[in-house]
Amino acid sequence: MNQFLRSLSPTQQVAALFLIVFGLLFIVSTAVFFLSFKERRNPVHDESWQAELAHFRALLGTTWFMVIVFWIGWALGETVATVLFALIAFFALREFITLSPTRRGDHRSLILAFFVVLPIQFWLVATARFDLFTVFIPVYVFLAIPVASALANDPSHFLERNAKLQWGIMVCVYGMSHVPALLLLTFPGYEGKSAFLVFFLVFVVQTSVLVQHLISRRMQRAPFAPNVSRSFNWTSWGVGIVVASLVGALFSFITPFKFGQALAVSIIACVAGSMGHLVMKALKRDRGIPNWGQKGVGVTGANGLLDRVDALCFAAPIFFHSIRWYFNV
Amino acid sequence: MLAKLTGWLLLGIVRLLTGAQARWYGCPPKAEQRIYFANHQSHADLVMIWAALPEELRSITRPIAARDYWANTPVKRWITTEVFNAVYVERAATGAAPVAPPPPVAPPPAAPIAPDERIEPSMEPLLPIETVAHAPAAEGPQEIQGQLDLPAPPPPPPPVAPPPVIEPEAPAAAPEPPAADPLAPLIDALRSGDSIIIFPEGTRGHTGEPQKFKSGLYALATMFPDVVLVPAWIDNVQRVMPKGEIVPVPILCSVTFGAPIRAEDGEERRPFLDRARAAVIALRDV
Repeated sequence: MNQFLRSLSPTQQVAALFLIVFGLLFIVSTAVFFLSFKERRNPVHDESWQAELAHFRALLGTTWFMVIVFWIGWALGETVATVLFALIAFFALREFITLSPTRRGDHRSLILAFFVVLPIQFWLVATARFDLFTVFIPVYVFLAIPVASALANDPSHFLERNAKLQWGIMVCVYGMSHVPALLLLTFPGYEGKSAFLVFFLVFVVQTSVLVQHLISRRMQRAPFAPNVSRSFNWTSWGVGIVVASLVGALFSFITPFKFGQALAVSIIACVAGSMGHLVMKALKRDRGIPNWGQKGVGVTGANGLLDRVDALCFAAPIFFHSIRWYFNV
Repeated sequence: MLAKLTGWLLLGIVRLLTGAQARWYGCPPKAEQRIYFANHQSHADLVMIWAALPEELRSITRPIAARDYWANTPVKRWITTEVFNAVYVERAATGAAPVAPPPPVAPPPAAPIAPDERIEPSMEPLLPIETVAHAPAAEGPQEIQGQLDLPAPPPPPPPVAPPPVIEPEAPAAAPEPPAADPLAPLIDALRSGDSIIIFPEGTRGHTGEPQKFKSGLYALATMFPDVVLVPAWIDNVQRVMPKGEIVPVPILCSVTFGAPIRAEDGEERRPFLDRARAAVIALRDV
């Protein structure tokens, strides 16, 4: 089996990987579909069972969505993948801005963020100008946005409004742009397989979030920061990190890393991702909303894309820069 | 053909920028004759509610557009007639009243930016009692009118102060209605079986709270008792394109449709309008 996989070309290996993932997802989804017919005798149990199942189905839906997005991105080449991530960043930023109150004077800055900063950042990624792309937002945009706001002649809550916008750009655009940037890293002897690197990152980060979520539901430990997150505690966090990092290390054969290196970068990505998720929870709490989306309930009509990608937005830049620094690529 | 393509393009842009999500609470999207009445914060309201309706309803629902804003250039006129299938209303009759005391009978006083843009004409000139009660507020700028909503201040001053102010206005307003009833195009549209979308505030609000509803809604409700009145709350549109800006910003918006209301037998005009306004405001928090 292993010999057979190694004998395939990189493209075939990636295709085989997607085939395996789609197959697994299909099996799980079918199982869940049939489980939903199952009825419990006790109506109280039945209700909680159905709720649990609905929750799991939502998670499964997220996974399907992510996998399909990556499959399309890989199948259509790097440029299309970059455009795809640019669109995700656009929708995520749209959700972020919708739920952060802006004022009339922010209009020009918002136009700048959506129609100038975002396209330029992803264009820099697509053309592999790594030096400029890492500093464009933290240096140039950091100055440009408050200038646009100041020219709008509205000083009220100036720092607060600009901080929000900067944050939105930093998380949604800067963070997200590092995912397609992984496609352009060239490791010696790893040509044509950088799609694996993106898959590796997403897979590991999602696993850690998922495991952490499941453990915290099972164990019912006291939350560490109940005002921010009712589910976050160090035990489930630790278990999530360990499990996901071990899984990542086991998958080291698809990456250019050795076992120990894969373990180390997985830990870095998982810590960044799960902490980022927690930070976004704090932001949501501040806005008084449980989710960025709250499907069908929220008056904003957001559909919760940011809930799904926030861990990735935090993990991607740290993952990217740490491997770029360590492997000097 | 071209109109259809433009419609799709416009729909695509609106969805990309705002999501244009429709939330049906209280009534399903159904092809019966309806009057949708919504809060009014921006010119884009018209486009939003048009985009939020499902395809089948969009073709039988006609939004109301102010002629002086939506028909002042050929492109806008083409889009409103061919794509939105809008009903034009004149708002000259009442648009002038708050600005200058002597209301001209002639069309709008050439105000392209129109300080108070109205989409729905009010019946104020037709109703002398209301005009009297309204006069003190109407003298101030629009913003103040909006703020005066809740405390309901008009009653105390009218008996003494307004009559002299109103005297010259009343005769001027009286001969006007026969010349052009502002509701006539809406009545025609309803008679022919179409649904319509109206903004009973008349002018775009500046605060979160909708302003007092104008009485056109009541007139239509009593004239067409069989038409279902559906309240709608359009959320966030003013952030997409505030007054005076031309480039829209992507921000998610939604249109919430609520449970239909109807005018009870013998219900007075003001209580009905207040009830309708409350029905719209209630949708903000569902």
